[in-house]
Amino acid sequence: MAGSALRRLMAEYKQLTLNPPEGIIAGPINEENFFEWEALITGPEGTCFEGGVFPAKLVFPPDYPLSPPKMQFTCEMFHPNIYSDGRVCISILHAPGDDPMGYESSAERWSPVQSVEKILLSVISMLAEPNDESGANVDAAKMWRENREEFDRIAEKIVRRTLGIPT
Amino acid sequence: MRTLSISVLSLALTSIVVANAYYQKKQFYPSVVYITKSNPSMAVIYIQAFICVWISGKIIKKIFFGQLRTTEFEHLMERSWYAITETCLAFTVFRDDFNPKFVALFTLLLFLKSFHWLAEDRVDYMERSPVISWLFHSRVLSLLLLLGSLDLHFIQHAYLSTVSKGASVQLVFGFEYAILITVVINIAIKYGLHSVDLNSETPWDNKAVFLLYTELVMGFIKVILYVAFVAIMVRIYTLPLFAFRPMYYTIRNFKKAFSDVILSRRAIHNMNTLYPDATPEELQAADNVCIICREEMTTASKKLPCNHIFHTSCLRSWFQRQQTCPTCRLNILRNPATVPPQRQRPPNPPNPFGNPFFAGQNPFQMFNQPNANGAEQAAAPGEQGRPAGLAGAERQAAPATTHQPQAAHAPPPFLFPPFPFLPFLPPPPMPPHNLAALSPEELLRMEGSERENVEARIQCLRNIQMLLDAAVVMMQQYSTTAILSAQMPAPHAAPNPFPATGPPASADSPKVAKVAPTTSGSAQAAPTTGHSGANSGAQASSTIDKPGTSKEEEGRGEESTTEAGIEEEIRRRRLQKFVQAQTHAGGQD
Repeated sequence: MAGSALRRLMAEYKQLTLNPPEGIIAGPINEENFFEWEALITGPEGTCFEGGVFPAKLVFPPDYPLSPPKMQFTCEMFHPNIYSDGRVCISILHAPGDDPMGYESSAERWSPVQSVEKILLSVISMLAEPNDESGANVDAAKMWRENREEFDRIAEKIVRRTLGIPT
Repeated sequence: MRTLSISVLSLALTSIVVANAYYQKKQFYPSVVYITKSNPSMAVIYIQAFICVWISGKIIKKIFFGQLRTTEFEHLMERSWYAITETCLAFTVFRDDFNPKFVALFTLLLFLKSFHWLAEDRVDYMERSPVISWLFHSRVLSLLLLLGSLDLHFIQHAYLSTVSKGASVQLVFGFEYAILITVVINIAIKYGLHSVDLNSETPWDNKAVFLLYTELVMGFIKVILYVAFVAIMVRIYTLPLFAFRPMYYTIRNFKKAFSDVILSRRAIHNMNTLYPDATPEELQAADNVCIICREEMTTASKKLPCNHIFHTSCLRSWFQRQQTCPTCRLNILRNPATVPPQRQRPPNPPNPFGNPFFAGQNPFQMFNQPNANGAEQAAAPGEQGRPAGLAGAERQAAPATTHQPQAAHAPPPFLFPPFPFLPFLPPPPMPPHNLAALSPEELLRMEGSERENVEARIQCLRNIQMLLDAAVVMMQQYSTTAILSAQMPAPHAAPNPFPATGPPASADSPKVAKVAPTTSGSAQAAPTTGHSGANSGAQASSTIDKPGTSKEEEGRGEESTTEAGIEEEIRRRRLQKFVQAQTHAGGQD
């Protein structure tokens, strides 16, 4: 038998392929290595990210699902909870031990019960409702709070860029 | 492409140097002397030697590893930078015998080290790769054999040289290769475990434990080697700065392995002693998939106090990190169900009232006795059976609630003792004093989600319902008594049960007065329907058996009217109040 992390990732891949949730596509970049995935997320409807298709990379640790994977958008993003290099800062991706922002309760942290699907759904809801307290991208958080029109304008520009439409 | 051009350039330079020397000296020996005496030529030769090492490294890599994965390459680069810096530091210690041979030996050491790292990464990758070919196995095995024999050879060489010529730089090599051989052994053991696991059809649950212990033992050996090395170096030469970083990491890894082993042992111990194995029926009832590994649970699964079921091995590896239920985050160390609550908390919880009389007693039993007596005295004889039955029900419900430690040890409420003969007030389940002071886990625990807790709650609600029914029956009895005693015009006393609640309330105690309005509230909701209207909120079962009891009470009421004496006197007084209340109510209407 292969390692438990590998079997679990294979099971999740199978599940995601058989019953793909709406707005999410995810799978290993190549089937030789199940520990690096690529995901495509559609922007939630009714928000400034609506219509966008955002590519992201998921890197799984060898002890998955005991430790959470890391997620990084590979396109340009402007969002209070996404670092400027694309890394996603969301409590479901943090192991209960560490608390980079010092505010998350352990109830919303990573646990082996979580899955790729849940992570991606959480990220979609994070796109819809940013948490401006965590502030992975301080500029975006500030703009989200104080100048929503400008934020929406930048988000729309990013959406157009992901779709390859000239802005 | 760039490396290729560099090698070609270097080769060209070397051949020019050699050709030049041979052209000038015509003979082999003089030309060699010429090259070694000329610094520029030697520089070219050194560069060529370095490139030869590089190329041979590439070739060996190609033979034993094929294409390197990105992570492997990154690891290699990162580690080699540190290793190179440390080697340069080591040079400073041995600057007296610095010569080409010395550099060559260090280069060789670095060269071999890098293959050890690669082998380590490659074997770790076994667990994560979906396909392991025979090529992989033969490559890893031959590489391990080669590295092991080389290490052994160099250790032997270092040992012999140290013994014959005294301490020298060979001491460093001896230790370095000794550490490398522990690495080789570690990799070999891991490889063996992984291949056994790969060849077995079912997941091998104990592999993680074996890996942990291997890590621990190897870490220990490495720590001893490093400490001995530093001690010897300090005695003979000087403080070996270059060994500090790897020593620090080795000690840190050993510490981590040690705590992992302890945590793992604790987790295994807890699981074996505290949690029951899930039975096939329970597995059938649940959806039978372990949510940690997403695989079916057929063997070895455990049920936590919160009723969540997982594979034993999955739970063990999770408990090594965290002592919570993966699904509901219940802290399993603080709430083992099979251990009686007394062992979890101090045996004698502080009693805020300082009343030794109540300490450690079941409050339900205390109040049930006076209640039964009180019912005997104050209520009609027909009601006697009921409170007694209720008391029994309460006693049954009590053990269920004591399962929740908080409820069991909550101090009895202060209000009750002064009124021991309330006929219709069964003690409610003791609430803790200050719900806000409890942590979410405690609240969750108190609430409970198991079947018995839910049953206890339902039982409690039924009891309350029964008591409400009893209260209504009592009221009816009072009104019928009022009619039959014929001391006032009867007709409109019976249809309106609302005023009937007044007398018992005022007569018995002020405490009842608080409860009576709640029952009268339901009566007020449907005042026109009369008797049965009072029961509109009650369940069908209770309304069915109610008319019977009320008839019975009417009969008994008639009997009681024939009785003379104090009871009659009490009734009369009550009736006076009853009339007052009725007129009052009439005024309101």
